[in-house]
Formats: sequence, structure tokens, C-alpha cells
Amino acid sequence: MTMREQAETGQPRSGARVRGTPPRRSVPAMIAGGFGELLLTAGALVLLFVVYLLWGTGLQTAAAQDDLRGQLDLGGSASSSQDGSSPDESDSSSDRSLDELALGDAYGIIRIPRFGDDWEWVIVQGVEDDDLRNGPGHYPDSANPGELGNFAVAAHRSGHGEPFAPFPRLHVGDIVEIETVDGTFVYKLDDAPDGDSDGNRISISDSWVVDPVPGQPRDAEPVEKRITLTTCWPRFGSSHRMYATGVLIEEEQR
Amino acid sequence: MYAWVWRHLPGPWPVRLVIFLILLAAIVYALFIWVFPWVEETLEISEVTVG
Repeated sequence: MTMREQAETGQPRSGARVRGTPPRRSVPAMIAGGFGELLLTAGALVLLFVVYLLWGTGLQTAAAQDDLRGQLDLGGSASSSQDGSSPDESDSSSDRSLDELALGDAYGIIRIPRFGDDWEWVIVQGVEDDDLRNGPGHYPDSANPGELGNFAVAAHRSGHGEPFAPFPRLHVGDIVEIETVDGTFVYKLDDAPDGDSDGNRISISDSWVVDPVPGQPRDAEPVEKRITLTTCWPRFGSSHRMYATGVLIEEEQR
Repeated sequence: MYAWVWRHLPGPWPVRLVIFLILLAAIVYALFIWVFPWVEETLEISEVTVG
């Protein structure tokens, strides 16, 4: 007896497809089928999440970088000396304009030739998740470039455009160039991962690396103009952190 | 689950297919815009700051 004949006689065998009605399945088969669909869906969700992390977050970051670049005015004429208060230090008037930035505002440009000649990112003010998703972030309590103390920057190394993806390739002696409304500041690293993927690994709570004088009490008087970069370790996780640090070797005030 | 959705979509199969794909796209969009950012933040899998 063919299936067509079964359907016509109105006596379908279990599992046979009758036009207009769902196929009849035993309860265990339905449970197993539903469970299988759930597993497939869960797998697809995990894959999608990975796609989001590796690629989706980068789209948002790229758009944000475009916006931030538009905010930056590095011509040097317009942004400084909005208020006429007398500067008590040589560069305090331009410092004020950096200090006036709100969290999330465009702060300056960072260039690291080790990562490629076209490697250039707009730094944002702040290191909250909402700031760092837009680009490398300036620790708001840390010094500004060219000041005594420690100019500290954090950035992602997986997802969100992964600015610091090649971080372990940083070597002692590498150059980090920062450009702000104040001028251009060239730092030379004196402590870096040196090509070791586990190099300069620190604990999450090792905030001493971004202190004004790293390794000294937080109120120690800084005598050096330093830079410190932090990112995550391992690359696709956050159980630890990784850092590199250096000292100012050259500056060109606007 | 998917078969159930398919059966409850109206129209002939090309229409169903279009509706199904639109539904799927809407779900993926919602995941990318709301769900995944929340998951990422909750799992703390991309923290890069010290302190």
C-alpha cells in the first residue's frame, strides 16, 4: 500500500504525512527533536556571539573613530585660550582645555610605528566600557602628555577594533607618539613585553603601573614624564593585564 | 520549533521564506544591538584597565 493510498483511505500509518496535518510523531521523538533544535540554536548563538566579538564590535568602533576624528581640532589655533585666565605655568592654558574634556570626548592621537606606519587611533577621555568601545582611552586621573607623572592609556586587544592586538610585539626602545591640542609628544618605551606573549603580565589589581611614579606611593612627587599602556591578558580574555611603559624623549609644543 | 514557526507562517512557501528570513534578521539584529553587548559586559571578558 503506497502512502497516497493510505491518505486516501484515511488510515495513515504512524509517521505518514497527510496533507494539511502535521506529521504525527511519538512523544519521545518530539522531545528528542526539540532538544536537538535547541542544541543547534545554542551552537548558532555561540558562533554569532564570536562573530559579534571579533567583527561586530569593530564596526561600531570604526564609526565612533570617524566621529571622534571630526571632534579633534589639532590645528592648534581654535581650541586653546578660550578663557583669558592667566597661565601660572608655561603650558597650563592648553592643559586646561584637555582637563575640560568630558568622558568620551576625543582626547588626541596615538601612533605606534611598531604596529605599522598607518597605525593611528583617536584616544578618548576615560576608560569605562563605554569609552573604550570607541577607541583607546586615557585614564582620566593620570597626567596629560608632556606633564610630569604618568600619562596612561588603555585599549582593547580583541574586539572593538582591537587597537592593541599586536601589543606583545612592543619592544624596549619602541616609539609611542601622542598628539593633542598641546602639541606632539614622543615617548620611548623602557619596559615592554619584548615579543613575549606573556611578557609584562600583571594582575588586574596592579594599578601601580598607572601611578604617577610607578612602584612608588601614589602621592610620590613625579620627576619623570612617563607613558603607560595597558591591555588585557590573555588576548581573548581578561584574567590578567599586560602593560608597557616609557619616558618622554621629545616634545613639540603648539 | 522551526517547523512549528514554518507551519504558522501565512502564504505560499516563497512568502513564508521571506518572512522567515526577515524574522531571523530581526532576531540577529536584536542580539547584536542589545543582547551581546550586555553579555560581554556581564562576563567581563574584555576588560583592559588596571585597578
